[in-house]
Amino acid sequence: MKKSVTGLRAWLVQRISAVCMLLFIVFVLFHFLFDPPRSYVAWHGWVMSPGVSVATFVFFAALLMHAWVGIRDVVMDYVRPVALRFATLALLGLCLLAIAAWVGRILLMGRG
Amino acid sequence: MRLSIFRFDPDRDKKPYMQDYEIELKPGDRMLLDVMMRLRIQDDSLAFRKSCREGVCGSDAMNINGRNGLACITPVGELREPVELRPLPNFPVIRDLVVDMTEFFQHYESIKPYLVNNDPPPAKERLQSPQDREKLDGLYECILCACCTSQCPSAWWNPDRFVGPAGLLQAYRFIIDSRDRATQERLDDLNDPYRLFRCRTIMNCTEVCPKGLAPSRAIEKIRLMMVKESL
Amino acid sequence: MPVGALTSIMHRVTGVLLAVGIPFGVYLLDRSLQGPQTYAEVTGLLDGWVFRIAVIASVWALAHHLLAGIRHLLSDIDIGSQLPAARRSAWAVNLAGLIVALLTAGALS
Repeated sequence: MKKSVTGLRAWLVQRISAVCMLLFIVFVLFHFLFDPPRSYVAWHGWVMSPGVSVATFVFFAALLMHAWVGIRDVVMDYVRPVALRFATLALLGLCLLAIAAWVGRILLMGRG
Repeated sequence: MRLSIFRFDPDRDKKPYMQDYEIELKPGDRMLLDVMMRLRIQDDSLAFRKSCREGVCGSDAMNINGRNGLACITPVGELREPVELRPLPNFPVIRDLVVDMTEFFQHYESIKPYLVNNDPPPAKERLQSPQDREKLDGLYECILCACCTSQCPSAWWNPDRFVGPAGLLQAYRFIIDSRDRATQERLDDLNDPYRLFRCRTIMNCTEVCPKGLAPSRAIEKIRLMMVKESL
Repeated sequence: MPVGALTSIMHRVTGVLLAVGIPFGVYLLDRSLQGPQTYAEVTGLLDGWVFRIAVIASVWALAHHLLAGIRHLLSDIDIGSQLPAARRSAWAVNLAGLIVALLTAGALS
């Protein structure tokens, strides 16, 4: 596949990120079912433990990429004027980047 | 039998309207097209396409009680009355039930619906093993009636750039043909954000196909081939 | 509308809802990790019925979107991609999403 713009890449990102999130959600679900955090210390300690904080970061990276592909698909369907479509996608990209920075700050500062 | 039929003649009507018809069923009326043929004797201004009247030519595709199908193989006994007949959704109307298929056939043409093979031709013909021939089953039967593409939401939003289920089923028919040598080019051609990847596997195409084919499955198989190809 | 089309459009609707919910989720995560006081605020939110309804709606959206997504992933690799199986799984996804939402409502009340 030599073309610069492909449809396959976005489709693969959507699928792979979905599987990553699925694993993380099942993991968190099981944790909350069998060993739910009962205090701030337990909750903070669990989230900030090396394994969980890295997994959380990967989850949010997958989530934001997944949201990008998904909302982009919605925009490509319903927003026909090219300029408006471009502006919508640019705004979406900025929002997702801002959220990524926010999540990064939470996970880094929280370790403090 | 009571029918309510979409009428529009651009030379005379400002906008489309639904016209009610009432017609006595006769013993010979088995399919919807039989009734429509007699209806046209009653009202010769009513326009619709038909040719083979046995589900092979794909001319009389229309929206029957909200669902696309071929009038010639739709039994009258199963229809809720009044039978509501409309032209294929999302296609430009030429007159009454006759729609403009130009864009539909442009998409079909764009997938190169013919074998591409520059190998020196053998003395008689390019042979295919029975196993390879079997791979074309469920694909070659498509009659290009456009029932699927007309009922596909992805095609509604991007009719100009999304090839649509009918064109993509045909694309896969040539991708999988053992006698074709342009597999890679065909996959590359479809690998852009619109031509194939607007499909969201809604499966309306497979729901309505009057020939019982599965365009959605053909699309999934093309995507899988692309994945394998890119690894 | 065929049941598959219903599942598909709900997949899209729930996806947009979840995307809109991301900043709220991140905000709650942020507050819950800042200190014991803000943590208590976040867990205390569950006492209010407005927040509870939001949680139930989010859980429904997530359950539906996730299950419909699994349905698509399986269909990609030719599991349940034939029409009868696809219709059954579409029904199952729509129902299961609602059941999970009801279970959540039960757990919260």
